Amino acid sequence: MDAKFLISGDTAVSVQLGDEISLEVNQKVRGLMVNLTKDPINGITEMVPTYASLMVHYRPQVIRFGELKQEIEKRLGSMEKITDCGGIVKEIPICYGGELGPDLEDCARFENVSVQEFIRMHSAHEYYTYMLGFAPGHAYAARFEEPFHFKRRESPRVKIAGQSIVVQLNLSNLIPFPQPCGWNIVGGTPLTICDYSKEDPFLVHAGEWIKYVPINQREYDKIKEDVRKGTYRVKTYEKGVK
Amino acid sequence: MGIVIENPGILTTVQDEGRFGYQQFGVSPAGPMDTKSFYIANILAGNDRSEGALEMTFQGAMIRFEKDNIIAITGADMSPNIDGTPVPMYQAVLIHAGSVLTLGMTNGNGCRAYVAFAGGLAIAKVMGSKATLMRNELGGMDGRKLEKGDKIGFAAPKTNLPNMETRKLVPETFPKKELTLRVVRGPQDYEFTEEECRKFFWYGAKISNEFDRMGCRLEREEPLHHIGDGNIITDGISFGSIQVPPNGQPIIMLADRQSTGGYTKIGSVISVDLPLLTQSMAGYKVRFVEVSIKLAQDLYIRRLNELDNLERKLNQ
Repeated sequence: MDAKFLISGDTAVSVQLGDEISLEVNQKVRGLMVNLTKDPINGITEMVPTYASLMVHYRPQVIRFGELKQEIEKRLGSMEKITDCGGIVKEIPICYGGELGPDLEDCARFENVSVQEFIRMHSAHEYYTYMLGFAPGHAYAARFEEPFHFKRRESPRVKIAGQSIVVQLNLSNLIPFPQPCGWNIVGGTPLTICDYSKEDPFLVHAGEWIKYVPINQREYDKIKEDVRKGTYRVKTYEKGVK
Repeated sequence: MGIVIENPGILTTVQDEGRFGYQQFGVSPAGPMDTKSFYIANILAGNDRSEGALEMTFQGAMIRFEKDNIIAITGADMSPNIDGTPVPMYQAVLIHAGSVLTLGMTNGNGCRAYVAFAGGLAIAKVMGSKATLMRNELGGMDGRKLEKGDKIGFAAPKTNLPNMETRKLVPETFPKKELTLRVVRGPQDYEFTEEECRKFFWYGAKISNEFDRMGCRLEREEPLHHIGDGNIITDGISFGSIQVPPNGQPIIMLADRQSTGGYTKIGSVISVDLPLLTQSMAGYKVRFVEVSIKLAQDLYIRRLNELDNLERKLNQ
């Protein structure tokens, strides 16, 4: 589909590049953002990539809507396509079940598999981070293999713990802070998903991949301690290398 | 040394212009609800207009000064006084060490007051900003509203500013009981029939009690109907976006808005009209008038020029 320029007030425009949630459409969004970051259009103040559109915030005193639309259209016509599925993979340790993952057994039952098989299905694949939103560092991630069949819980919880890992269908999000949530919680990570004191506060960025690595409670406690001391390093590799 | 909070009022936070550049990571910009009053307070106090100031809601704070400094109070009229003597609003005023500045309950003209301090407040920036985002315990005073006993230092206090005698403006009059907001259609007005869009503009709505820094929920007698189910593929949100969730009751997204959302947005309140809404209260009636993006941006630029001219005049 052709790009749509959806006016979002007098200081923002949503550039919609597709009408589905897919890797192909999302990589067009990332491609446009990369292009506008490397070679900025004067007047753009910030960009927010989402599943299928790029929100461009701008200063009308520098560039008016019509002119901005023309400039972005030029870029869309000439920009390089991001075609590879490459990128950085980050290993996120996850302790399944128990207090950290109160819905693990329910989920295995919904899926009609054993808990071990459920954990294998959840942790065997890499998840693509489509976008961050809702809260600082909240990653919206999806795998492309073996989707689950269940969606949200019937009634949402008023508050779930920060550092929870929640699932539905092929999606699995990282929850940085306590929040209301209707998804099923399968586990928790000892890593800090958003740390304001760091120069880069966010564990995962849009366009990166996540690989969940099962750990037990003892390993969870150990990693948590290392994180507290500042000695833990997140394992990272190029997609396809491992 | 600077100020000590003797009584924080209902909701007093440190806000600068906002935390920009981090919406791509899910961080709300926060910042002032009424940008116009906020900018004018800073300009009168001789500051860069983006400097951190205090935003007070409904009932203001009681503040003891430990050091001399010039301040300017704008926005809602909370009958400010210094040691019991009324102090003019929309004017640069020198306050002496030992004095107590008290802002009371709003007299009905607006609901958010701004107090700017010459030279700014000594608040550490987080991600480039002093703005408080309470929901995520970010920025300002430990990410929270001010409490009794809080101390905030002055960054560079002043006892004199150029044109001190002419650093004043006529105070603003805010809407009472009803207001009209101009709206640019989009980004998802196509999710409604033309008839539903007309209804949105023809029949107003009432401001509900669910009105905070994040958003303002409206109550319409007849909910709006979507062509589809009211959900979209999550996309970006801007200040003033009018979300219409599946229940058909609009929510106008404000300073502490989420950066992204999955509900249809029928339109956006234009920037220059947002302060009218953010100074209004529950129960007020709202009407919407459609304007073009061209007019909205012309008005935006005119507002900026007015602020630039004021700044130039006072600082020459």
